[in-house]
Amino acid sequence: MFSVGLSEIRRTTSFRLALLFLALFGAASLILFGFLYWQTAGYVAGGVDDWLTREMTARVSDPSELDRQITAHMVADPAGRRPFALFDADGHRIAGNPATLPSPLPGMDRVFDFTLPRGGEPVPFRGILHRMPSGGIFMVAQDMRDSREFRDLLLGAMASGGLWVLILGLSGATIIGAGALGRIDGVTRAIERIVDGDLSERLPSGGTDGDLDRLIQVVNRMLDEIERLMHEVKGVTDDIAHDLRTPLTRLMAGLERARRRASSVDEYADAVDEAIAESKGILATFGALLRISEVEAGARRAGFTTVDLNTVAADVTDFYEPLAEHKGICLSLEPDGVSAEMSGDPSLLFEAIGNLVDNAIKYTPSGGRVRLRIFGADDRLGIEVSDTGPGIPEMERGMALRRFHRLEKCRHTPGSGLGLSLVAAVARLHGLHLAIDDASPGCRVTLRRDGSAPGELAERAFSSV
Amino acid sequence: MAKVLVIEDDPQTANEIAAALGDYGFEVECAHNGRDGLLKAAGEKYDAIVLDRMLPGDLDGLGVLATLRSIGSETPVLILSALSAVDERVRGLRAGGDDYLTKPFEFVELTARLEILARRRTTPARETNLRVGDLEIDLLTRQVRRAGRAIELLPREYRLLEYLMRHAGRVVTRTMLFEEVWGYHYDPQTNVIDVHIGRLRRKLEEGGLSQMIHTVRGSGYVLRRSE
Repeated sequence: MFSVGLSEIRRTTSFRLALLFLALFGAASLILFGFLYWQTAGYVAGGVDDWLTREMTARVSDPSELDRQITAHMVADPAGRRPFALFDADGHRIAGNPATLPSPLPGMDRVFDFTLPRGGEPVPFRGILHRMPSGGIFMVAQDMRDSREFRDLLLGAMASGGLWVLILGLSGATIIGAGALGRIDGVTRAIERIVDGDLSERLPSGGTDGDLDRLIQVVNRMLDEIERLMHEVKGVTDDIAHDLRTPLTRLMAGLERARRRASSVDEYADAVDEAIAESKGILATFGALLRISEVEAGARRAGFTTVDLNTVAADVTDFYEPLAEHKGICLSLEPDGVSAEMSGDPSLLFEAIGNLVDNAIKYTPSGGRVRLRIFGADDRLGIEVSDTGPGIPEMERGMALRRFHRLEKCRHTPGSGLGLSLVAAVARLHGLHLAIDDASPGCRVTLRRDGSAPGELAERAFSSV
Repeated sequence: MAKVLVIEDDPQTANEIAAALGDYGFEVECAHNGRDGLLKAAGEKYDAIVLDRMLPGDLDGLGVLATLRSIGSETPVLILSALSAVDERVRGLRAGGDDYLTKPFEFVELTARLEILARRRTTPARETNLRVGDLEIDLLTRQVRRAGRAIELLPREYRLLEYLMRHAGRVVTRTMLFEEVWGYHYDPQTNVIDVHIGRLRRKLEEGGLSQMIHTVRGSGYVLRRSE
């Protein structure tokens, strides 16, 4: 895990996030420390200044007492940490602790910083001067080493605290970044295997419900769906290969037979007619496939107008009625009293309903019935086609919607096997739900709006069939 | 003889179309791009134009059509296209096309549609009855008589017959009948229309009368006067 370069860790989101928090925390601490420092240092300095001013005012209020007070102070403060000193007009010290006037001379009665030699070292002092009526200068000062030390201690604590925060923060960020990088590397390797063609591979999940794991679970579900679709596409491709190869084989065989055996113009003409018929069949299959893709792509919504399902169903009934009569089947339409208007493509709806009716007529034996039933706009809009044929076994109902699927027992009847998948595509395009169920006996196909209609309503509609 | 201009960029397809139209009795001229096609169409008089929807260069099929219509030409145009989507069809017709055929197509379909387009301009619009041999229909009362005897037809049968009568002597394909009589646009791929025609035929031939609706091998029908 740690074999990865530092530069890679630096690029991880977690590392950057950790850094961002580090920076925010650092800034907040800096502000806090700064405020503390400013307040504390200001308080200490303010205390010193107050004392200096107060002391000066008290001492110079009675100049006659000054000498005595200086002497008393020198006894109390022999180290000269708070030196009192009196200078003559020329700046020579007359009395008090050892001290010299700073040069140039600062203004009178104002607090100022300066240094005094103590043990050979210059030591910071803060002082105040006052010109006496005699012309001399009186100085009160305070050794600032303690408060400077306090300030330096404060600054040092801040600096070392900051350093620890930086070290802990950086290493924390690096560990988090490296951890994330490890997960990402695992995911990347899995994705690379998927890209290389192993569609059964899934992204490694940490088994928690963290955000990355939730993302991984969603992606894995997407991969399941993709794998399923790929299998379906492969199945369809195999079916296309089969369903187009068969007529192409017949076409070629017929043409070759004609070249081998045909001896008269009529025989050649027959062979050509056969070939044309086969080509037409192939083109029809091809066309149906293209139409399904086109419908599934949803491009035909551009051609939507207002369609009344009653009208389309009446036209379909009218169109297929002779065929039904020819086969001895009773084809009937139960229109809905109210209008069944919807937005749609009339030709596609006709084709879809026509397909259902065509199938129903094809599979219903002579003497049976095929019924169309419309559900109006008041109900869940839709149409239902039921027959009294053999029906579709429950096991095969889902399969029946697949492209090229033909029920085993119907393999020999003509048809491309694309009808029902076209119907399904048209239904989806129009927001209708396709359902196949048992009309006992027979098969019932329903194209109907997916609605939150109460169950008993649907119940009633079905039980009356 | 009807004169047709074929505007199609693929030379082999153009030659096939020209050959097929020639076989069906059309006089054909070809243009291989939009510009040439437009020049020819504007300069000479044609009975119909076959126009490829997708042409190379800056002037495609719809561009040619729009220009042609904007200069006031009313020559019927049949659009050929590899695009089958319904809105493509709508766009083609809206741009001034008179008919739309998706590739690949059968030449019977193309010639049948062209004949009707080329003839449309010369047919007087107002007629009150149609007559072919001993068959007669009254367009106002919708009554059909053959050899003086009235024939009862269902509304749909009447419309089939009317369409066949209007184009008597010419091939009418199943798709054309379906589009015209039922008004939906797709190729139904079934023999249902044959069953409809079969019924109509039986009614027309009742009483041992001769056949008038003939099946054209491949894809259509033709109504002819009986000899």
